[in-house]
Amino acid sequence: MNQRIIQAYRQAPWRVQLQWIGLFLLILVVGMLIAGVYLYVSGRAAETGARIKSLEMEREGLAIRIADMRTQLALLNSSQVMLERAEKLGFRPAQREDLVYLPVEGISVREVVFLAPPPAAIQRENKLLRPAYTQSLWDLLYQSAYQFMNTRGGQRP
Amino acid sequence: MNGGIGRMRLIGAVFVLLSAAIVYQMVRIQNSEHSRQLVEMFAKTYNQQVRVIIPERGNIYDRWGNLLAGNKEVYEVGIAPQQVINPETVARDLAAVLEVDYYDTLRKAESYRKEGNERYEVIKDFVPAEKIRMLEEKVNAYEQAEKPKKGPAPSLVGVFWRPHLIRSYPENELAANVLGFYNYLDRWTGRGMLGLEEQYNNLLAGNKQQVILPMNPTEIQEIPEIPPGASLITSLDRDIQAAMERIIDQAVEANGAESGTLVVMDPKTGEILAMATTPHFNPNEYWRYGEVFPLGSYFNRAISQLYEPGSVFKVLTMAAAIDAGAVQPETPFVDVGAIEVGGIWIYNWDRGAWGPQDMVGCMQHSLNVCLAWVAQELGPTRFYKYLQDFGIGRYTGIDLAGEQVYPLSLPGDTNWYPVNLGTNSFGQGVAVTPIQMITAIAAMANDGKMMAPHVVKAYIQDGVQYAVNPRVIRQVVKPDTARTITDMLAASLENEASNALVEGYRIAGKTGTAEIPGPGGYTSMTNASFVGWGPVDDPKFIVYVWLEKPTSSPWGSVVAAPVFSQAVEELVVLMKIPPDEIRQQLASP
Repeated sequence: MNQRIIQAYRQAPWRVQLQWIGLFLLILVVGMLIAGVYLYVSGRAAETGARIKSLEMEREGLAIRIADMRTQLALLNSSQVMLERAEKLGFRPAQREDLVYLPVEGISVREVVFLAPPPAAIQRENKLLRPAYTQSLWDLLYQSAYQFMNTRGGQRP
Repeated sequence: MNGGIGRMRLIGAVFVLLSAAIVYQMVRIQNSEHSRQLVEMFAKTYNQQVRVIIPERGNIYDRWGNLLAGNKEVYEVGIAPQQVINPETVARDLAAVLEVDYYDTLRKAESYRKEGNERYEVIKDFVPAEKIRMLEEKVNAYEQAEKPKKGPAPSLVGVFWRPHLIRSYPENELAANVLGFYNYLDRWTGRGMLGLEEQYNNLLAGNKQQVILPMNPTEIQEIPEIPPGASLITSLDRDIQAAMERIIDQAVEANGAESGTLVVMDPKTGEILAMATTPHFNPNEYWRYGEVFPLGSYFNRAISQLYEPGSVFKVLTMAAAIDAGAVQPETPFVDVGAIEVGGIWIYNWDRGAWGPQDMVGCMQHSLNVCLAWVAQELGPTRFYKYLQDFGIGRYTGIDLAGEQVYPLSLPGDTNWYPVNLGTNSFGQGVAVTPIQMITAIAAMANDGKMMAPHVVKAYIQDGVQYAVNPRVIRQVVKPDTARTITDMLAASLENEASNALVEGYRIAGKTGTAEIPGPGGYTSMTNASFVGWGPVDDPKFIVYVWLEKPTSSPWGSVVAAPVFSQAVEELVVLMKIPPDEIRQQLASP
């Protein structure tokens, strides 16, 4: 009797096999999906990394070019070159007798050059790469959780 | 049926065993010592790159922002031998464009094929950008050209160029004696030499940093942004500097002098507006230093060359005596042409007796006898105390590398004799540099306050501009004394109708002629000087002129005073200082 009940409820062997195959395929598909996502993310990260490296090299090159251009500009505006250009244009250095002094209201004396802001100006930290490019998944989760914990109940002033 | 299942199981078992064997082998290889070493080697070689980042050297500007020292782009050209496709093309083109040896380049280009050399070979460094453009044109031409049917196509694959910066001085020789130079050919160990480049080397250079960068693109790491070295904004005025260099060059040539020095300072702040000395030197070609400055000569005479100044020193003696109350401008003195000091007779420059004089006359005629008497009236204790306060025998502390000083002999020293009081009073037996003299005498143009001479007016670090504030060394004489001396010297110039006078501007000044000591005593060669400042009611400049060993005339009044006048003629234009009459009209409401 007992044997009969078991037989009545037992899965047919082909169904058990199908279930196992199904389970195996499910795991396989999930695994492939994870692997696919991982590959995609890795590929994107590698591509971005290569791009960042290339941009950083470009930035270095541009910094060098800027310094070079500044010097080239100074060469074109150098004292000797400017004197020669002025003479070619028919000018001559002003003499004391050539000058006429006129009082002009509101004119101020020439100030010494300011090539950068004075110390009082606010300094901002200028990070080139956003944290998202360098932090791990764990860092992201931890940081998000930390922010969530800190902002619960309203933003801090 | 059973036999079939048995075979299937056997095949399955074989596959399982094979798979297990493969997995075992994978694990074994992965964990073997050789594999570990190999991985380490690859990681070390290819996984990360060690880079030394040299920050851009800071710029040097004049007070209006004109660039005096900057940086220029050049390239390092090299070959990666294992990547070279056509060594002949590489050698031929590099030899033609870079002017390097063809056979040496060919040997390097073929070194991978012949010797298995994988090392990057530098072919030439400091290649200008124009040459790189020529190489780029060749690369483009080869890429577009049709491939030949036989043999390798011409190609520059395997040739690499990398930019870097070198120091450049766009004004060439202008202010070179102040700037110094940077020995950029020593790419990794270069440093600033002399002048501002040496004095502020650490500030200009910034901080080198070694970074380890992962080569794996997924391990992104930001290259730290190394801030450039600090930039300097000097107190120099490019146009004034150029004018003063031109004037002193002409003066040296016209007077057959060995060298010339001309310094312009703002007496109220101690800022150096121009500092011109001969000979000139182009810091872009610093390796020629030895040709321009043979052994024993001075890069910047204004701060490094000690000399006996002569009568310009009388300004200090007279200022000390008036300040101490030993004499007044009206104090009478009868010049008999000689005076005995410490048992030695002292005479006037012309060995003549000038009769009754007051102190203005003594300064106007530059009477040694009178000034020796003034020093005696003052007494050695007070006289040398004043000289020390004026900074004689001490460094001025100017922010330029290479300042020299000669200790002042004081009463009690083994090398001091009583006659020194007399000779020192008119600038003999005492050695100074032009910067010491102009710093001391500038106090007369600044109500007795002696300002620290300086060249750097501001500096820019991490994107912020910091001002360098003027510094008072000390109040060396009372304001009244300074004004009295100024009036006395202005009057003495006017009385003698000096060559130093400039029409429309009241100027105070003093000539100086000092004999140069040789092995057997004083020679006939002289140092001719002139110091002057103006406009006397509101001094905007003080100018110090020194011509060494002029051959046209030994006298400062003949050779140095006209140079001063010429310098002031240009200064008033460049500094936009109206003539006294107009200035006073403009100032009055």
